[in-house]
Amino acid sequence: MAVTVENTRERYQPSLRQWSKFFRNNTSIILIYVIILVVIGAAAILNENFRTPSNMLNILRQSIIIGLIAIGQSVVVLTGGIDFSVAQVARIVGLTVATIFAAQGSNPALILPLILLGLFIGALLGGFNGLIITRTHANPFIITFGIASILRGVNLAISTTPIRGIPDPYLRIYDFKIGIVPANVLVMIIMWVAAYVFTTRTRTGRALYAVGGSERVARLSAIRYNRTLVTAYIFSSFCAAIAGLFLLARTGVGDPSAAEGMDFQSVVAVALGGISLYGGRGSILGTLGGVLLLAALSNVFNLLQVNIYYQQLFLGLIVLITVAVYKSPRSA
Amino acid sequence: MSATSAPPKSSVGRFSSFRPSPAFVRWVDLAGQWAAPIMIVVVLIIAAVLAPAFFLPTNLKTLAIQIAVLGIVSIGQTLVLLVRSIDLSVSAVLALGAVIVVQTAAGNPLWISFIQAFAVAAVFGLANGFLVAKRQVPPFVATFGMLVFIQGARLAYTKGQASGTVPEILRAISFNQVGPIPAALLVWLIVNIIVIFFLNSTRYGRWIYAVGGNPSAARYAGIRVDAVIMAVHMICSMLAMLGGLVLSGYIGYVDLRLGADYNTNSIAAAIIGGTTFTGGRGNLFGTAAGVALLILLLNLVVVLGLPIHWQYVMQGSVLVAAVALQGFRQFLLSH
Repeated sequence: MAVTVENTRERYQPSLRQWSKFFRNNTSIILIYVIILVVIGAAAILNENFRTPSNMLNILRQSIIIGLIAIGQSVVVLTGGIDFSVAQVARIVGLTVATIFAAQGSNPALILPLILLGLFIGALLGGFNGLIITRTHANPFIITFGIASILRGVNLAISTTPIRGIPDPYLRIYDFKIGIVPANVLVMIIMWVAAYVFTTRTRTGRALYAVGGSERVARLSAIRYNRTLVTAYIFSSFCAAIAGLFLLARTGVGDPSAAEGMDFQSVVAVALGGISLYGGRGSILGTLGGVLLLAALSNVFNLLQVNIYYQQLFLGLIVLITVAVYKSPRSA
Repeated sequence: MSATSAPPKSSVGRFSSFRPSPAFVRWVDLAGQWAAPIMIVVVLIIAAVLAPAFFLPTNLKTLAIQIAVLGIVSIGQTLVLLVRSIDLSVSAVLALGAVIVVQTAAGNPLWISFIQAFAVAAVFGLANGFLVAKRQVPPFVATFGMLVFIQGARLAYTKGQASGTVPEILRAISFNQVGPIPAALLVWLIVNIIVIFFLNSTRYGRWIYAVGGNPSAARYAGIRVDAVIMAVHMICSMLAMLGGLVLSGYIGYVDLRLGADYNTNSIAAAIIGGTTFTGGRGNLFGTAAGVALLILLLNLVVVLGLPIHWQYVMQGSVLVAAVALQGFRQFLLSH
């Protein structure tokens, strides 16, 4: 048989065998980073504005908000669910904080309490999502989609116009630098490392994979199924809340249309990175690749001054091609 | 069904300490089946007490047209849900239909633009079905990707500006009456009758239930499961197109945000009418009741004079409540 022949040949080349195993296990991750290199390389050769260091830093900075949301989304997708309320959670956190700032006359003393309040709102909404999903055994996509619709209405009820009156110290969070490294890029790196350690090295992180792989096996292995799921949704909304707070610092106004479309983009980043949308397979490193690719593409489109509608067209096309090419291993 | 007295069949039930009484299971089942009709009566009573303007003839006519449009779209959504899929691209197809007909109606005979519109819808439906059935993409991701793609294509084509005049025949469908019934409502009724006959009395209809109920059993029974799923997605997209044409006749121009809420609403209507996500269960009478309930609720927001964004809250709450109820019902019935 062909398999045996291959094995005997590889026995004499252990390093080759290890390498081929590594490639086979991480095809999608390697693929995404190769694609990023190709896109960035092509853009750097063709456009001199693209290859400036400040633009490269810009790509990183632009990917922070979508990246934060995508970290949370990855965790939920690993459990076999999906969280479509993340964009609205980010928006409601930003709007609430902005409203209170405006009502209290931009008092800088309120910055820390309000950040904590924002994070608390995020965690609360995530817990709510998780509880409905685990208690009623309903489809997570539709539950979070419905919650997103409710939050959209509530957000418009809070304000239909941008809210001004954010104190200056809060706005400086976004531009704060340590040496030459922007603090927000640092925050992003810390978040990604933390998420990587969380999903690969902690008990709860491994439970996410087990839960996404098979509910039955997870329960038989004495994994707390419901608790793991609720944790995942809380984590996702929590990340979205951080993203909302960052977005508020970046735009400087509480925007009732903030984070529009980020729910779908985060799912796109996760799918591009090769995490199985049926759950249980994939790595957070892939998602990072997906986020960077989306940010690089968006940057290239903006430099080439591509119409926003065509950008949407391309985004849809990329998604359809990606999902059509990656056939799910589970159903094969 | 005496599911609770028998030992739990599913793997999940064995781990759960939750042991519902048979009476409770029966109650949830009945609630799931009758939620929409009961709620309609409740909403009508509330409307009668709080907002007598609700029953003015002009408002009733608006209701009829809104029910017709959402009803047509929801028929397709119900079919798709019956085969365990979902279609989030209905709103984009619906909006695209109006654009195609308005833009091409100028030079060509009208029937050619209609054929063009429905052909485009069929292609998008087929693409959805291909991704879902052949490539095993999770349906909501495939169809949401399609939604973004179609929206991008439409906006790139129209440059995001409202333009054009809607052909006379579409205006007639929306504003004329046949006897006391608005023509749009009649279109909905006719489509309903055709699809109900098709579902209950032809083998193709039974195939849809078989595929949704148990795909592998359906495959062993000689049904071409992939073909059924693709066909159902095509029908859904074409019904969404029909809904879009009726809607554009009512609005009178083609808007940037035309029909953006029809995804949420059509799913909510189908689910609250008793269709389940796990497929194979549900019927169009339930969906019709779900459509009526949802439109009544959304209209109530307007008639009561609340800010319009409470409609989002309303449709989201209905969706979450309906999905939670049906999911719970399905869970109880399967144990």
